[in-house]
Amino acid sequence: MTTPGYATERETTEGKVFTVTGGDWDEVVSGVDYGHDERIVVNMGPQHPSTHGVLRLVLELEGETVTEARLVVGYLHTGIEKNLEFRNWVQGSTFVTRMDYLAPIFNETAYSLAVEKLLGIEDQVTERATTIRVLMMELNRISSHLVWLATTGMELGAISMMLYGFREREYVLEIFEMITGLRMNHAYVRPGGVAQDVPDEAIVKIREFLAMMPKKLKEYEDLLSGQPIWQERTKDVAVLDVTGCVALGITGPVLRSAGLAWDLRKTMPYCGYETYDFEVPTAQTGDVWGRYEVRMAEIRESMKIVEQCLERLRPGPIMVADRKIAWPAQLAIGVDGMGNSLEHVAKIMGQSMESLIHHFKLVTEGFRVPPGQVYVGIEAPRGELGVHAVSDGGTRPYRVHYREPSFINLQSLPAMAEGGLIADVIAGGASLDPVMGGCDR
Amino acid sequence: MTPEEVGARLVAALPDAAAGVSGGGAYARATVDVPPAAWATAAATARDDTDLRCDFFDWLSAVDELAEGFTMVAHVWSTALRHGVLLRTRVPREGAQVPTLVPVYPGAAWHERETHEMFGIGFAGHADLKPLLLPPEFEGHPLRKEFVLAARVAKAWPGAKEPGESHESTGRRQPMRPPGVPDPNQWGPNAGLA
Repeated sequence: MTTPGYATERETTEGKVFTVTGGDWDEVVSGVDYGHDERIVVNMGPQHPSTHGVLRLVLELEGETVTEARLVVGYLHTGIEKNLEFRNWVQGSTFVTRMDYLAPIFNETAYSLAVEKLLGIEDQVTERATTIRVLMMELNRISSHLVWLATTGMELGAISMMLYGFREREYVLEIFEMITGLRMNHAYVRPGGVAQDVPDEAIVKIREFLAMMPKKLKEYEDLLSGQPIWQERTKDVAVLDVTGCVALGITGPVLRSAGLAWDLRKTMPYCGYETYDFEVPTAQTGDVWGRYEVRMAEIRESMKIVEQCLERLRPGPIMVADRKIAWPAQLAIGVDGMGNSLEHVAKIMGQSMESLIHHFKLVTEGFRVPPGQVYVGIEAPRGELGVHAVSDGGTRPYRVHYREPSFINLQSLPAMAEGGLIADVIAGGASLDPVMGGCDR
Repeated sequence: MTPEEVGARLVAALPDAAAGVSGGGAYARATVDVPPAAWATAAATARDDTDLRCDFFDWLSAVDELAEGFTMVAHVWSTALRHGVLLRTRVPREGAQVPTLVPVYPGAAWHERETHEMFGIGFAGHADLKPLLLPPEFEGHPLRKEFVLAARVAKAWPGAKEPGESHESTGRRQPMRPPGVPDPNQWGPNAGLA
């Protein structure tokens, strides 16, 4: 008995025996009309060097031209928004920092700003805490853009750019480790302030970094800007104009590369950004080249802001004074990361029973947040990062929704890719700088 | 325009709408509550009104309000006038559905797919409501409050939670349950056994 289309089979006492001949190859070949139908479907990812994590693209190709691009996301979905509803408000910082893992400080700051607005304590956050937040965010923006430059360079054939970009980013991560105790996933910015003061060694290191970077940036530009391959692969590639960006909700360097100077640090200032002196770089081309130019210029602007932050840092408290919100802890960086210093534990234990109980309740149960709903948007390296937080008056968030720029920007990839060449899908996707941890949350 | 003026302007153009202001002091947004049927009309009005010109679609999501149903929230923004408005509508729990915003704002497509899979809210007129972040075989709507965070039930905390728990105690005390883990008598493989 034989099923049509399958190998011949017959029953024997040992079981089924198939006779495989493979003789239909001529039939298969003759069935394909090379002259007229070149439509093929190519699956790219989820494990592919140029998909930035686990993004899957299903491309329908006509020769080398993309006729349809479909995105499959969700491989990194970890249910962070759901998990937040079962932890207290402070513990939330630990979760949100893991969303967009290249820009953890931004996730934490947006979350903390939202919680502070619900609590109504945004005016009580100290100046030093706010300055440290801005300092950390701008350093993080530089490190995130460096990773963008590194990975995009690698995808478009400039492998040395990858090595240089990651090398300099390592410098920023070392600064972060010095300040927060961790290279990534810091949970450093917390509702009410920051977890830990900036040590003096870190200031020295930041100054070294600022002194070193201009030379390095010039090196990158010498490497890439004049190079014909880089120009060919980026100029007039994956174009999206302002109308397209606004209709799809695209923000960040992609929108600014199309010519709209839309930067929440200027248009809706938070954390005192209106008092810093910096420009919003734009380009007019709306292509990958424009996004490269915008990001390079943004690194320089961020360095200007970091410089101003260092000048403004004055000694002072880094947490709100309200003892119902601030942990009565003295955190210190040890060899195994951040934790309570032993002297402080001894001090707390030696104090009154009431203060020990208060400490215990505040850490395990958390503080209550008045009922309400707020939306806070900040300018992350990839665009507008927003937090919509709803409280029912309890110690845990009722609902937290993240407006993630990676998620929204990825929606525009079909608009950029369809009608172009398959090689330009790589450049276009890279120019969006998607981080799948943020997209899938 | 102040949030109050933005809200008042939109309410004047829509029947049965109510305006408010969200929390956040200086960063407050106008909130406009509309009936579910007017959901898409409200978005189109916010976009097309000459004084509002909310051309930028920011995001859309939902909040589970338990017995009162779901609150749909969408944030739209004017790039020219720099004001935003939070559009809200309340839909019942059973057969929750609102008209799609995709014809008004194409950027809403993924948000609506996400909200559909997470809350089970329908979007009438959306062409392709298949799951986005969740695998196709996933059952349930994770962001609904009745959806149990099963990982916390299935995998117990590796250490001892109670004094004396590490030894073979008779466990006279009621075991401590972390938030989100329901009573094992109520939910899970041992439901109704004890």
